[in-house]
Amino acid sequence: MPQVELRNITMRFGKVVAADEVDLIIADGEYVTILGPSGCGKTTLIRIIAGILEPTQGEVLIGGKNMKGVPIEERDLGYVFQNIALFPHFTVQRNVTYGPMVKDRGKDEQRQTAQKYLELVKLLDKMQMFPSELCGGEQQKASLARALATDAKLLLLDEPLSALDARVRVDLRYELRRIVKRLGLTAVHVTHDQEEAMSVSDRIVVMRAGGIVESGTPQQLYTRPKDIFTSNFVGETNLLEGWVKERAEGRSVIELRDESTIVVEQCDFDEGDAVVVSVRPEFVFPFTDGLLSKIEYFTYMGTYWRVTAEAQSEDMVEFDVPAAEGKLYHPGQEIYLMINRKAAVVFPRPKEGIAEAVKLE
Amino acid sequence: MSWLEKATELVSRKGFRKGWLGFVIVFFLLFIIIPTVFVLSYVFTNWSDIQNNVLNDPQAMNAIWAAIGNSFEIAAIVTVIDFVIGLPMAWILVRKKFRGKQLLDTFIDMPLVVPTAALGFSAVIFWGVTVPTVPYHWGLELVSSPFILIVLLHILFSYPYMVRSLSAILGEIDQTYETAGRTLGASKLTAVRTITLPLFRAGLVTGIILCFARSLSETGGTFVALATLSGSTGFNTAPTLIQYYKSIPGSQPVLAFISILLIVLALVLLVAVAVIVKKMHLPIRKIWPRPEKVLSRGFAPKLKDVTSIAFLIFIVLIPSFWIFTFVVTSSSSQAMDWSTFLTSLAYSFAVAGIITVVDLALGVPLALYIARGRGKRLPEILDVLVNVPLIVPTVALGISLGMFWNPGGETTAAISFVLVVLAHLAFTFPLMVRNVTGAVEETDPVYEETARTLGAKPIQAFRRVLYPMISSSILAGAIMAFTRSLGETGATIAVAPDANTAPIYIVNLIKASDFYSAAVACIVLIVISFAFMLALRRITRKRREAN
Amino acid sequence: MPRIRLEGIVKNFGDIKAANDLNLDIQDGEYLCLLGPTGAGKTTALRLISGLTKPDKGRIFFGDKPMNEVEPEDRKAVMLSQTYALFPQLTVAENILFGPDIKDLSEHDKEKTLNEMLEMVRLRKRPDAYPRELSGGMQQRTALARALASGAEVLLLDEPLRALDARLRISLRHELRDLAKSLGLTTLHVTHDQEEALVMADRIAVIRQGSIIQVGTPAEVFDNPASPFVANFVGQSNFFVGEVIQKREATEVQDDSGHSVLARPGGCKIGDRVVVAVKVGNTEISKEGEGFFEGTVERVLFEGRNLHVDLNVPNIGRYSSKIPSWRLGKLMPGDVVKIKWSADKARVFPMPEKGLVEELKVE
Repeated sequence: MPQVELRNITMRFGKVVAADEVDLIIADGEYVTILGPSGCGKTTLIRIIAGILEPTQGEVLIGGKNMKGVPIEERDLGYVFQNIALFPHFTVQRNVTYGPMVKDRGKDEQRQTAQKYLELVKLLDKMQMFPSELCGGEQQKASLARALATDAKLLLLDEPLSALDARVRVDLRYELRRIVKRLGLTAVHVTHDQEEAMSVSDRIVVMRAGGIVESGTPQQLYTRPKDIFTSNFVGETNLLEGWVKERAEGRSVIELRDESTIVVEQCDFDEGDAVVVSVRPEFVFPFTDGLLSKIEYFTYMGTYWRVTAEAQSEDMVEFDVPAAEGKLYHPGQEIYLMINRKAAVVFPRPKEGIAEAVKLE
Repeated sequence: MSWLEKATELVSRKGFRKGWLGFVIVFFLLFIIIPTVFVLSYVFTNWSDIQNNVLNDPQAMNAIWAAIGNSFEIAAIVTVIDFVIGLPMAWILVRKKFRGKQLLDTFIDMPLVVPTAALGFSAVIFWGVTVPTVPYHWGLELVSSPFILIVLLHILFSYPYMVRSLSAILGEIDQTYETAGRTLGASKLTAVRTITLPLFRAGLVTGIILCFARSLSETGGTFVALATLSGSTGFNTAPTLIQYYKSIPGSQPVLAFISILLIVLALVLLVAVAVIVKKMHLPIRKIWPRPEKVLSRGFAPKLKDVTSIAFLIFIVLIPSFWIFTFVVTSSSSQAMDWSTFLTSLAYSFAVAGIITVVDLALGVPLALYIARGRGKRLPEILDVLVNVPLIVPTVALGISLGMFWNPGGETTAAISFVLVVLAHLAFTFPLMVRNVTGAVEETDPVYEETARTLGAKPIQAFRRVLYPMISSSILAGAIMAFTRSLGETGATIAVAPDANTAPIYIVNLIKASDFYSAAVACIVLIVISFAFMLALRRITRKRREAN
Repeated sequence: MPRIRLEGIVKNFGDIKAANDLNLDIQDGEYLCLLGPTGAGKTTALRLISGLTKPDKGRIFFGDKPMNEVEPEDRKAVMLSQTYALFPQLTVAENILFGPDIKDLSEHDKEKTLNEMLEMVRLRKRPDAYPRELSGGMQQRTALARALASGAEVLLLDEPLRALDARLRISLRHELRDLAKSLGLTTLHVTHDQEEALVMADRIAVIRQGSIIQVGTPAEVFDNPASPFVANFVGQSNFFVGEVIQKREATEVQDDSGHSVLARPGGCKIGDRVVVAVKVGNTEISKEGEGFFEGTVERVLFEGRNLHVDLNVPNIGRYSSKIPSWRLGKLMPGDVVKIKWSADKARVFPMPEKGLVEELKVE
């Protein structure tokens, strides 16, 4: 039985439609991330699941049971807040034992529970401290232990890492997934950070403007996105405008603005259709033939350089070269760029234009 | 450079800023703090007078202890009632959304519009059995005990203070904590009890202090109520006792003694309250899941809300405005002396106007200094001192001020006017400073700092960036000071009983049993204050929307 | 002569040493990123330069002019806070013209400046909007335009991209830098995000506990870190603790269990107890072939462009490696792999006084 099901959920705040007829199923034991830009409705959805918001329309089912009329405190879930929300007047230990305490568990049981989960998040030595004495990452770990201590099987995480430093985020997100999987929980994690989503999730649901764009595993969304918005939002990509010139099984030719052509392996459109080819920078490489482009500038990325060039078709193309090879290229240089035909994904040309279709705000 | 640029340059220079601030602080200490507590020194300078005239007079001592006992008991009971009934109301104001909330918001402040002398009269004719000279029988005629009546009266003007203080704190507590508690399985009541209320403590102390001090101070309404309640002779609160002695020459030792007692006891009690509230162990370890769950849902919360609103309407609002029915149902035996009344009104306006201007000119810089000086010694000390004139009962303040500035007891019209101005300045100054300090502390200093790095001098940063953000609070402080001064009786009587302010005029009318004229005068004052309040609400609402 | 110089700055807030003998030079027209964890003193450094905070000790120079006594409004160093601090009662246009209004420029000049700014930050359509009506990115551009319109010569940015969505940050990095560069401004950009610093900076200054521990170009700081902390903070690193046993074309370091690794020749002596640091992106793993030692794959995380592989190396601990995504499916948890790196990619450091764990702590 699926752990969480959202059926036709709509949420309206006055004239604003925060969620628009959303259907979503999350299976038992799945780690699902709802990913999208600010204002897409992801936080609204997670609050509806928790019961903090009552949907304007639609049903929420948890464990097969309809949650209509069921207040927050009876939904048996753990919730981790973006702004952490540790009770400032309780020590870490009393924060963690709060869940067991309000369920009227015995004192010994409360203490054991606290110990178990604080050990899991490696905060046992900070048990008697107050939240204000901990740093950001420690606070969020304590908040996680508190949510887990309810022994709930469903964990909701509302942008749990957004308030933390970049470095701390990287360390903590591995911990999150490790702990969730070890305890066999179902997790619904909301974030705007696609890197975070890819590293913690079994499945990612991409949202935009109140609706679901698509859903899939991190690999699926990265290598074979079904929507042009996803291709640009999950990871970076080059978008080239053109028309289908030739179509054949395993090999199609797309003609770009300046009549130069690129070859792609998979193309589900007919000859003459207006399309956009999406290919990621790591699948574009300098070659003896291909798109004639002029290098505009370089960006240092640590172990590689990201080179930005303008193709003769007026498309901007980015590709990567290893750090050591950086000196082989210079701005103004003209080179040929080849794309990996297997990695290219072809989309229909959006009516509103590419810029509008991939807009991040 | 134009003259405006020159002036800006001058005012921005560090020396000028420091100089003006120094002047403000010296003025504050010399004209407000020291005169307010000056009476305490009487203990040392005239102890023998006190011993002879007061301590050795058993009749006086009995009267004094009885009056002080009444004042403190009433204040305590009123504060407790205000808290118990005010807390659910604060919750409704801050957490609930419904149409008509603005209206509720306005209603809660309404009793503040009515001068306390009028409230006294209104309360008596609503609740109590009036003396035969008051020709009126449209009230409930339930209460004949002066103690109970005064409690009911004091609730009228202290309830808004409590609700506002509690709302302010509740508004600052992030609701996420409560929500977090509920996601952990706590019912609403449990979450509120164990999480939100403990976070309330700091604001609770403020609410208690304001309520208590206000009740201790109140003179005009209490006097009017006692004068018109049948069978209340001999009952006194400390302020009315002072008022009585003020009309008897040679009473300085008694007046000083009562004032000293009032000040010392009030300060001690309030420090004790602050300590107790901070250290008090709330029962947050004990949970009763099942009963708390039942109370959190369905019938119980609705009952709580209905009771709060019913209390507001029937115990606070209706009694406050019942005076209108007097004017409608009664007739006058004498013609209203409009010219004397309007003169007294002009006098009150003059006083209120002057003190408001001075409060603005000096209170705002002091508030800025305190708000932006957190963590430094002098601002912290000033922050505490500013509250002193608020806590000291205004009658005692009046006595003390009178002794400081006018030990000889001269009573020319000019001297009386100046004394009244100084007295009213003392207890309105904290209102202005607290309002502005609160508003400044709520604004992020980053705005002014950004403005300065964009090239704005401090005064330009204030004028263009901070001032628009706090202007509504400044205005609120000004109107609060103005209306407070308009309605004050106790301090005026204590410092210069012959000063012809509007409230004193009303009290004199009551003393002369000219109730109809008194009622009419009250209503005129109510209408004026109401107009001010509406204007204030209109302006603050516009500013809030802009933010 | 450096455009901005901080000399021996000390600033304490109670017990906290926000600036602890801070020395920094910023060149004219440079885009310098001040990189460090939260609490390192980055914002304090910014406030000291802007004049909003005065140092307890030390001197600040703009060029050769001592600035300690100069008020913020006279420094022409404009500060952009994390939350942008757009004046809520003013429209976009009024916000942008705040500086020109203060200087009392002519209407004509003000109009010209406004149009230039709106064009430059792509906000031509919204001059009459209020800040609360704008998206995060638009607010940032408005704040930037306001700073530029004030005639500032120095731009002080306090984590300017932090409040934005992750994906938006990546897009706006170039725009922000290009804008500052095109106007010839000297920029100090404070951040905790090392990727941001690598991508945007002419030079990076790494700050920790109130003092600068390294200044250099992104490549210098990445490839030639001055301490294990920098090695792990700017790009993640793997560490190997041991004793120097040989120094020839490469330094050989051996640990207690007999494993030995190679590193770039450095300034250590044979017998020294040292730490070897190598970036996870330069740590090579393979099932066949040779390696310094073996490890078991614990988990493989898909990160889009790369895979992040966590390995468990017996007696040494956790190692990580970043390999290209096309290797997905070829490496599974449980596989045993050989771990190695080329000597010139690894750096040797003397063992930190307080131990390695303390040295690497970020918070």
